[in-house]
Amino acid sequence: MFVIFSWLLLAASVQAAKLTLQSPRFTISSSNATTLRTETFTTTQKPEPLTLSSSDTFKLTFQITEEGEGGKGVQPHQTFLRFYDGVSGEEGIQPIRVTPGGKAKFELNMARPPASIPPTTTDPLKVTLILGSFVHEPVKYELFDLYIPASQPPPQHADEVFFHTRPVIEHTFHPEQKLPPTMISAVFACLVLSPWVVLLGLWAKVSPSVPHLFSPSVVPFTTLLGAFELLLFWYWVELNLGQVLLYGSLLAVPTVFAGKQALAKTGEWRQGRS
Amino acid sequence: MRLFSSTLLFPLVALARLVAAKSSSGDSVLVLLDPSLEKENFSIFFNGLEQRGYALTFRAPKDAEPAIAEYDVPSFSHVILFTPESKSYAQDVTPQSLVGLLSQNTNLLIAMSPKQTLLTSLAAEFSLILPPPGTPLISHHPARAEPPTVIPVAVPQSPLVRPGTPPVWFSGVPHALNTNPNLVPILRAPSESFAADSNDDSGASMLVDATEKGGEGLWAGSQMDLVTGFQTSHNTRVVFAGGVELFSDEFTKKELPNGKPSGNAQFARDVVNWVFQESLALRIDHTTHHRVNETVPGEFYTTNDQIVYTAHISAYNPRTSSWEPFSGLTDLQLEFTMLDPHVRIALPPVAGSPGIYEVQFRAPDRHGVFKFVVDWRRRGYTYLQSSTTVPVVPPRHNEYPRFLSAAWPYYAGAMSTSAGFILFAALWLAGDVKGERKVKKGTKTE
Repeated sequence: MFVIFSWLLLAASVQAAKLTLQSPRFTISSSNATTLRTETFTTTQKPEPLTLSSSDTFKLTFQITEEGEGGKGVQPHQTFLRFYDGVSGEEGIQPIRVTPGGKAKFELNMARPPASIPPTTTDPLKVTLILGSFVHEPVKYELFDLYIPASQPPPQHADEVFFHTRPVIEHTFHPEQKLPPTMISAVFACLVLSPWVVLLGLWAKVSPSVPHLFSPSVVPFTTLLGAFELLLFWYWVELNLGQVLLYGSLLAVPTVFAGKQALAKTGEWRQGRS
Repeated sequence: MRLFSSTLLFPLVALARLVAAKSSSGDSVLVLLDPSLEKENFSIFFNGLEQRGYALTFRAPKDAEPAIAEYDVPSFSHVILFTPESKSYAQDVTPQSLVGLLSQNTNLLIAMSPKQTLLTSLAAEFSLILPPPGTPLISHHPARAEPPTVIPVAVPQSPLVRPGTPPVWFSGVPHALNTNPNLVPILRAPSESFAADSNDDSGASMLVDATEKGGEGLWAGSQMDLVTGFQTSHNTRVVFAGGVELFSDEFTKKELPNGKPSGNAQFARDVVNWVFQESLALRIDHTTHHRVNETVPGEFYTTNDQIVYTAHISAYNPRTSSWEPFSGLTDLQLEFTMLDPHVRIALPPVAGSPGIYEVQFRAPDRHGVFKFVVDWRRRGYTYLQSSTTVPVVPPRHNEYPRFLSAAWPYYAGAMSTSAGFILFAALWLAGDVKGERKVKKGTKTE
């Protein structure tokens, strides 16, 4: 039953008359009412793209009739002008007022554009006329391309930035500390060591006698003193305070005894072995 | 043994795959069905859900049992509201309670109608702008046998729907969206459609008047949506469909004007897959961080340290009903933040390790309490958010550069002092005392 009903409807729509557009015409006039461009065009051939500046007025007139000889004027249910930017996807729909006799007029003043004009960039807007009716077959006409001045971009939500890749941030570090040239450091290190040269040179001349240098009472003490200096060097390179105090106290015990022994021996020598 | 078990398991697994395409957040579904709608008119939709493993419980809006939540704990994992015409509900269904469900891991699928009900005010809370009541969507294009309120709509490309889905039949109310990025447009209105309450051509002047009156103007064009999703910050999902007939058997079986079958069944399945957290469901399993040559996370880091951050991410596979490692995110980013991001770098997937994303970077030379922040949001996908707090301390006294070339003179001086001390002590102890003895002898003979 439903199938039969739909076939009847289909038959009815086939019988419905088609709509056509008669004498579509546009006029672009500037703000001081001089006509910049006016043209009567056809739906079969698109006119050259239209350009409006921010003070121009655009007027579009046409008549909608039924197809065939003597077709009468029709006021369809839907007479919409669709502005579509193919690149950004923005769209605006503007209904056009049509008289019961089918005559339609649309005026666009760029000084006060209606809200139906979408946000634009430098890309053109494709203008389409959409006709729809309950009793006629629907039809769409691509009229022309329209260039209008670029508008502000559409507003963005504050959270929109989170939904895209955000710019990479690289931290700017403090520059590496610059050291003076190593040659200067080397020269001054040699300067610091120069008194040794003088000392060793004078000693070579004087040749002081050191008979007891390797005496068995003195050697332990001097080697333990050397060990202390090595411990100090080791502390400088690697150790912590706790470790160096531990090792130092361990070393101090034999050093005390060796020192006492060495001093006693030296005293004996000073008194002429008495 | 392995061959035997795989040959036996394979048909079982294949059968299970057809049956158990389950959701990642639970299988219990409460369906609130208008008394004016017959359950049998939606048999394809509901049977499809049950076949996929969901347990459906039906209830009229005015019934008190089963309640959607008991003592503030939701009783079901998902709720479907096919109640486009109901003006009054039982006590447990209010806009506040529905929003409360969304904060507690429950997803909603809501069908609306041109009538003004509490669902209209609920939709407004989700940034959907509905037309005035009583103005359904009408389109005279394309020419077809159905009335203008029944419209075939092409399904746009989106990660939610299967590519190549045929156009779907739709009847209901459109809505406009504002710029809220949490909205996920699923089905856009055809550009020739508009919302109106006229029945014949004499309503034409009313359309123009509606536009010229100002206010919100005329609901028209492809900037309107018919089915829209919303993903909340808790990662629960809501879908508002402009009409319940989209899911009905009548529309599913209806043929398109060009004779092909409609895409309603496939589209409804894709929408339900998304709302019930089957498709596009991701999660961060865990994250770790450590210094470059270590494996244990440090309790703190030092400025200028090289730090390695790793994230393990899984996606839900509805076929196997399990979370599987997922390496398909190419634009994940890591931020190292102290009040403001100091470092923001890409977190790329590691080739050869599924689901692992790793990056190495140098800690800034400011000390303080920093956070590793991963905040990845894309329309339709689960929002991935993770934040790990870690202190960054300045270097200790013995962590600065040592043995600098500028200090050579000082090293030379200190070492000279040590060497000089030992030499002096040794020479003094070892010295000759001959001269003193001579003097002493001389005084004694006096």
